[in-house]
Amino acid sequence: MDLAKYRTLFLEEASEHLAEMSRALLVLEKDPASTESIDLVFRMAHSTKSMAASLGYEAISEIAHRLEDRMQVVRSAGRIEDAADLPLLFRGLEALERMVEVVRETGQPPPPDSELAQALGSTPGLKKKFLRHP
Amino acid sequence: MRGRVLVADDAAFMRQMIREILEAEGLEVVGEAVDGVEAIDQFSKLHPDLVTMDIVMPRRSGIDAVKGILELDPQARVVMCSALGQETLVMEALQAGARDFIVKPFKPDNVIATLTKVLEKES
Repeated sequence: MDLAKYRTLFLEEASEHLAEMSRALLVLEKDPASTESIDLVFRMAHSTKSMAASLGYEAISEIAHRLEDRMQVVRSAGRIEDAADLPLLFRGLEALERMVEVVRETGQPPPPDSELAQALGSTPGLKKKFLRHP
Repeated sequence: MRGRVLVADDAAFMRQMIREILEAEGLEVVGEAVDGVEAIDQFSKLHPDLVTMDIVMPRRSGIDAVKGILELDPQARVVMCSALGQETLVMEALQAGARDFIVKPFKPDNVIATLTKVLEKES
């Protein structure tokens, strides 16, 4: 596998995904039941997780996976029910943006953010069946 | 191995990765689709021997697309591309008629072994 080529592809596509995720989260601030935005954040997190895992960027994959799991709960509920959820989702997004920048600047996998991963995975409504790392 | 394959995934990164794995084994990627609607549309135009189908896609999900493709051709061979944590969705896709599944991140040997098995099996 041509790692450099795939790293470039990852940086392009992950950056687009995170920008879309950011726009969708801003919509959810105003309309916590926006189905389109909920689905979009879920899909972007899912896609970012798979791409990062393919390149061994475990820290990115972990945070993206936690976001995906959290959004799965939101999808099931049909809206963001907990007011504390949105700031946490934004924190997750910002962490992913920082991590992608580390890859862009160093070409290396970014370090993990265990504290945030734990916070993202600790919502009372987050059902264990959605978690890969309970 | 010979065969004409349609690759459906909303991420260009993943489409490129699976294309390289397949082409290295002599399979021909005859088309790509970025969502479930396009997957059904491309299937009806291209009549591929096999479809690799991502589960999470916009417009229509991979599972919906499997159902749509099997309505067009009940003998269609569709292999789902899943990620860890999607076991329930994979089961749903298999019940809907998908032949098998491969797991992201892709391991080329596993991908080829699964697709070979599906392609060699009589419809």
